[in-house]
Amino acid sequence: METVKLEVFRYDPEKDKAPYFKEYEVPVEGTLLNALLYIKDNLDPTLAFRAFCRSEVCGSCSMKVNGKTKLACKTPMRELYETWKGKPLKIEPLNHMKVIKDLVVDIDKPIEKMKTLIPWLVPDPRVVPTDPMHESIIYPEEMKAYKDQIHCMLCFSCYSACEAVEDNERYRGPFAFSKAYRFQVDRRDIETAKEKRIRYAISGGLWSCVQCQKCLYVCPKGVKPAEDIQNLRGQAVRKGFTDKPGAKKLKHFVDWIYATGQINRLYLPEEVYGNREAREKLTKAYESMGVEVWEVPKPTKGLMKFRDIYLEILSREEKALELDFSHVRKIDKLVSDVFKADICTIVDKVHQKEEKTKGLIGRLKELFGGSDG
Amino acid sequence: MVKVGFYQGCCFQGQDAHMFETMKETFRRIDVELELLEETTCCGGNTIDEENRKLSYAINARNIALAEAKGLDMLVSCNTCYMVIAKAKLALDRDEELRREINNLLKEEGLEYKGTSKIYHLLDFFRDVVGYEKIRKAVKRPLKGWKVAAYYGCHVLYPKEVAIDNSDNPSSLQEVLKALGAEVIDDYEHKDSCCGYHSFFTDKSMTLKKLNKILGSVKKVGADIVATPCPLCFKSFDIYQTNMEKPPMVPSSFLPELMAYAFGLDRKSSGLAHHLVKVEKE
Repeated sequence: METVKLEVFRYDPEKDKAPYFKEYEVPVEGTLLNALLYIKDNLDPTLAFRAFCRSEVCGSCSMKVNGKTKLACKTPMRELYETWKGKPLKIEPLNHMKVIKDLVVDIDKPIEKMKTLIPWLVPDPRVVPTDPMHESIIYPEEMKAYKDQIHCMLCFSCYSACEAVEDNERYRGPFAFSKAYRFQVDRRDIETAKEKRIRYAISGGLWSCVQCQKCLYVCPKGVKPAEDIQNLRGQAVRKGFTDKPGAKKLKHFVDWIYATGQINRLYLPEEVYGNREAREKLTKAYESMGVEVWEVPKPTKGLMKFRDIYLEILSREEKALELDFSHVRKIDKLVSDVFKADICTIVDKVHQKEEKTKGLIGRLKELFGGSDG
Repeated sequence: MVKVGFYQGCCFQGQDAHMFETMKETFRRIDVELELLEETTCCGGNTIDEENRKLSYAINARNIALAEAKGLDMLVSCNTCYMVIAKAKLALDRDEELRREINNLLKEEGLEYKGTSKIYHLLDFFRDVVGYEKIRKAVKRPLKGWKVAAYYGCHVLYPKEVAIDNSDNPSSLQEVLKALGAEVIDDYEHKDSCCGYHSFFTDKSMTLKKLNKILGSVKKVGADIVATPCPLCFKSFDIYQTNMEKPPMVPSSFLPELMAYAFGLDRKSSGLAHHLVKVEKE
C-alpha cells in the first residue's frame, strides 16, 4: 500500500510548553479527513481535530496542508501526494485563530467580527408582511443575486488564507463581507440596515482588501468574497462614501480609462492622496535614467468608439460613480496640450505621425541601440 | 517563428514604453514575434469591477476581440491583466446572453467576441508554446552565481479557474530561471504573500507591511534579487519599496528583464539599469 508521511501540529496548552510536530505514516487513499481518522483509529487516539459531516456540508474540518488552506473532507490524498510529489505533508491548524488543541481552533473571534456587519435580514415592513400568516415570497430571479453567498458554511478557510486579516486586526474577514453583501442585495431588507452595513463595512476594513483572490481559491463552496467586496465598495461609493482613498482611486480609473483608454500612474498619487510631488519625483527619477516620460498615456487607437461602448454600458447598468465630465475635459485638454492636437482627431494623427517619423518607439530604439544583437 | 498578439495594458506605455522594445527583442530571440495589439485599452485593473462588472467584461471582450480579428492568441504579461481578461473570457464563454449583449455593442467597431483566441500569461506561454529548452539555447550570458528568489504574485495562481500552474506548488517560474542559469531560491517564508500593489491607493499601510514581510524574508535567505513575472509586483517591489520608512533596498526584476540580460542585451536595454533600487549584481 502506498503511504505518505503526515507531520501533524500537536499542542495541548494545558500540558505542552510549546507546539511540536508528530509524524504519522498514512495510506495515500481517500481524503485527508480519512487519513486523520486513520491516525485516530489506528495510530494515536489523542489527536484532536474537528469533523462531523464528512461530506463538505458542515465546514468543520478546514486546516492547512503545507501552508495552504484545505477542507480535509474535500481534499483527496492522491491529489496532495501528486502536488507535493510524495514529500511529507505538514498539517497545521488554521491561521489567525487561537489554538484550543492540536488542529482545533477557537472560532469566536471571526464570528464576533462577522456579527458587526449585521449578517441577518432586517425586514422592510413595506415588503415583508408583518402578519406571520402571510408568506414573504422570493422569486428565483431575485435569488440569483445571492445564490452563491448563501452556501457559506463558516469553515473559515478564507479567514485563514486572507492577506488583509493577516495585516489588519480590525479587518472583518472575507466571509463576513460576503454574508453582509448577501443582505445588501435582498429586496426584503430595509434601506436603513443597508446603509448601516456599509458604514460598518468601511470601519471594518472594506478598503483594506488587497484583492489577492485567495478567498476565491480556498472557498470549498464557490463563494467569491473578493468580488462581493468589490460590489460592496461600489455600493459604498454610490451611497456617497467618497472620501476614502479607494473611492478616489475608483474615480481615477473610471474617468481616465474613459478619457484615454488607460489609467495614468503619474497622476494617481495626486488624485488619490493630493501628492503632487510624487509625479515630479517619479518623472525626474525616470529622466535621470534616460527614460522619456510622457505625462499622459498615448490615446488608444479607436478611442472615440471605445468611449461610445463605455457610455452605453454605464447608461444601462447600475453604477457606483457618474462619469465626471469636467474631469474628463481636463484630461482631454492635458492630452491635447501634450500631443498638440484636438482629442477627436488626435488618435489618428498621433498614430500616423508615429508611422512617418518612427515616433517614440523609434527614438527608443536609437536610445537603446547598445544591444549586442 | 510563432506570432502572438501582445496585450500591453498600462505597464508598457508612458514612462514604461521602453519595456515593450525590450520584450519584443527578448521574444525575437526565442522565435516569437510579438504583434502589439495597439487598439486595446486598460483591462480596468480589477478596479472598474467596483464601478460595474459588466463594464469590465465589455472592455475586455473588446480587447480579446481585437486579437481575434487578427487571428492571433493573446499574450498578457501582467498578472492582474491576465486574471481580469481570463475571468472576462470565462464569463463570456459561459453566458450566451452576456456575449450577445456585448457583441451588439462591439458591432459599431466591426468587432465580435467569438471565443477563438487563447489567453496566455508569460509563464504558461514559455512552458506550453516556447519550451524551456529554447530559452536555455538563447542564453548568451548565463546568470551564473545569481541567487534569484522566485516570486509569482497572486493573480496567476488564484483563483483556480484561471490559474496557469499548480496553485499550491507551482514550478513554471523556477523552470525559466533555471534555464537562464540562475540559482533559484523558492523556499522563503513570504513567497506566497501578496505584494500589496493593489492596496497602495486603498490602504497604503497594508502595502508597506506586505513589502516589509516579503522583502525581509528575501533578504533573510540571502537572495541577490527577487524575480517576478508580474510588472505590478515588480513596481511594488521597486517603486513602493522606496516609500517604506526603512527600505530594506532589496533589488527586484521583472522576469523579461532578466531574460533579456541573460540573452545578451546590455543593462540599459534589458531595463535592469532603470530601477530605483539598483541592481548591483553583474
